[in-house]
Amino acid sequence: MKNIFVAATLTALFLTSCSSDDVNTSTPDNTGVTAPETYIFKRGGESSVSFGGQTTRILMAEEFVSALKDNTKSETDLNAMFTHVEGESDFTDTDLNASGKNIRSKVAASKDYFSANITVSNEIKADFDAWIAEQANIVFPNWTTTATSGVAGQLQQFNGGSTRYINAKGLELNQAVAKGLIGGLMADQMLNNYLSITVLDEGSNKANNTNDIVEDGKTYTSMEHKWDEAYGYLYGTELDPSFPVLGADSFLNTYLKQVDADSDFSGTANAVFEAFKLGRAAIVAKNYVVRDAQAQIIRENISKVIAVRAVHYLQSGKTKIAEGDMAAAFHQLSEGFGFIYSLQFTRKPNTNAPYFSHNDVQAYVAELMTGNGFWDVSNETLDTISEEIADRFNFSVAQAAN
Amino acid sequence: MIKKIISIFIIIASIVSCSSSDDAGSGSGNSVDGFNRQSMLTNWADNIIIPVFQDLNTQLADLVTSKNSFIAAPNQTNLEAFRASWLKAYKVWQYAEMFNIGEAEAINYYSKMNIYPTSVPEIESNIASGTYNLSHPNNQDAVGFPALDYLLYGVANNDMDILSIYTTNVNAENYKNYLSDLVNEMKTLTNSVLNNWTTIYRGQFVSSTANTATSSTNKLTNDFIFYYEKGLRANKIGIPAGVFSTNPLPKKVEAYYKSDVSKELTLVALDAVQDFFNGKAYNSNETDASFKQYLQYLNSVRNGEDLDVLINNQINLARSKVVDLNPNFTEQITTNNAEMTNAYNELQKVVVLIKVDMVQSMNISVDYVDADGD
Repeated sequence: MKNIFVAATLTALFLTSCSSDDVNTSTPDNTGVTAPETYIFKRGGESSVSFGGQTTRILMAEEFVSALKDNTKSETDLNAMFTHVEGESDFTDTDLNASGKNIRSKVAASKDYFSANITVSNEIKADFDAWIAEQANIVFPNWTTTATSGVAGQLQQFNGGSTRYINAKGLELNQAVAKGLIGGLMADQMLNNYLSITVLDEGSNKANNTNDIVEDGKTYTSMEHKWDEAYGYLYGTELDPSFPVLGADSFLNTYLKQVDADSDFSGTANAVFEAFKLGRAAIVAKNYVVRDAQAQIIRENISKVIAVRAVHYLQSGKTKIAEGDMAAAFHQLSEGFGFIYSLQFTRKPNTNAPYFSHNDVQAYVAELMTGNGFWDVSNETLDTISEEIADRFNFSVAQAAN
Repeated sequence: MIKKIISIFIIIASIVSCSSSDDAGSGSGNSVDGFNRQSMLTNWADNIIIPVFQDLNTQLADLVTSKNSFIAAPNQTNLEAFRASWLKAYKVWQYAEMFNIGEAEAINYYSKMNIYPTSVPEIESNIASGTYNLSHPNNQDAVGFPALDYLLYGVANNDMDILSIYTTNVNAENYKNYLSDLVNEMKTLTNSVLNNWTTIYRGQFVSSTANTATSSTNKLTNDFIFYYEKGLRANKIGIPAGVFSTNPLPKKVEAYYKSDVSKELTLVALDAVQDFFNGKAYNSNETDASFKQYLQYLNSVRNGEDLDVLINNQINLARSKVVDLNPNFTEQITTNNAEMTNAYNELQKVVVLIKVDMVQSMNISVDYVDADGD
């Protein structure tokens, strides 16, 4: 009898005191945690912020997506950049060549979404592999061919605009890769890996953070470092990462800026930065409820950036089709395609799920690429997808389109 | 009144236990949560661990005997008998690998028994030179069951050629010596682990009932989870399926040269894990104090379901995926790796249940972290 009583008491206590799924009802104001003005955190007078690995991967991705527009590159060259091996001369930046990191190993590789979902992770990686292969083997050899429906090649935008290099379905594969990486690499690693309770609290991380036990030879606790690594995927190429100005890369950082520049979404960038600072301060203050609430804010806003850009580009593409500027339309639609692909890596706050599942995204991809793809995509298709995305994120197509 | 005092004590204890992970146990058989850890340690030692090592020791004695017969007369009959002893012992090994504690930990037993893929260049170079120290760490991928796998199945293309390695080959004597030294070393190591358990270690093990990082329950729980995550999930399935690399690595399967028993060994390992979780005796169907009972005692639930049930169900689901695989994992990976990764996915889900939910319930700290960050 005593044992049962004790067990019941214990269980109840554990459920209330140890649950990692507490819904946060506090606001930053009454938590006692204060965010600093800038993302500067120190221990013993030294900075405790570190995210070199993230900066490295973003810089690798920069060189890689540039190379996707260099028709002298072979599939082997491109794959070598994507799956870089330490010491190989795949990049112009020797620091990147010396690095043991690569892009592909962190695509669709977050703990929350893919640690028990390797089959889908491999399918996603294979999509990137296939885009790279098609770019090298179909688009590059047709670099001077004029693209027509069903034929890969190039098309120039009206008024002496940019020349776009597309596959037989009108898709710029370099855009599919670049915008796909925004979700598949940056957002997935941030939202579903480093901001994940599973990762932040892994092993003894929580006890070590609570007791100020730092990593061997480092100035930070593991938990602080994980949070900083999430930060690095967004701000890692900023000139002064402690005070981001945005527009620093070709990936998430820049698209956060663009969404924030739309008056319908102004404040998004600030919300993300404030949440990162407050969450990091909460870790220092050992306040994990506040920390987790900030992770939810970041998840919601970063997910929204991807959705807004997806809808924005589908709508711009529709406009350009109406104007008859197919090169411009394909460029817009290709960016949209990449952002739609990235939707499967978004994260609905307080859930373990994206706003659009892998299967949802596969269905959109199939719909957009059916037949001759963008050459004959209908306004209805573009509008329907736009509305479905906007609905699920609670904004309007018109808000995203302008 | 007494109840009140107890509940106040428990309230304090569990508040403390949520923030700190290294608090000492009560010193009797009961840990701070009231569960009798000593009964669990006793069941583990007397009904599982020691019987497993006894059986393994017996199997290795048989392996020594069939090795001796083979060396005395390297013919097809003796080769087959030797191979049969190898497989039988290898299956029992699947029950033993997780108990990396006490003498096994001290002598690095696991690393001398089952590191694969084995290194053919190292084995061949040892044989060619005829001088080697089999217990040197550099030789960990040239010894144990995987080295035998190579020497009994992979050293030549067919049985006739394999036999000629041990008969007419210019280095036949060296090959036979290596085979012999290898098997004798496995037997010696196993004997010392078993002896240590039955003479000194069993007593220390069952009386270490506190909840510190070095207490028996904490250490073996970590060994169990580490084995499941690394030895079983990663080594047997994940690594060869390419989960941790750019491409699949089908040559990294367990028993690569025998080739058609990788699945069988994995299934035995899964049984071993599940039996240990449920506290099932090695030599009978009796069950006693275990992780399962501990979780039931704590009334551990996850999303409203009993954690012990969830763990057993998930292991069963994982097993059903493994059962569907080709007995030859190398073939499975080359023909349809998605089925391999599907099995991995279900195995991975067990990791979360035991490495997060189970240890949190029991207030045990995991003493290792995946080195997977930037």
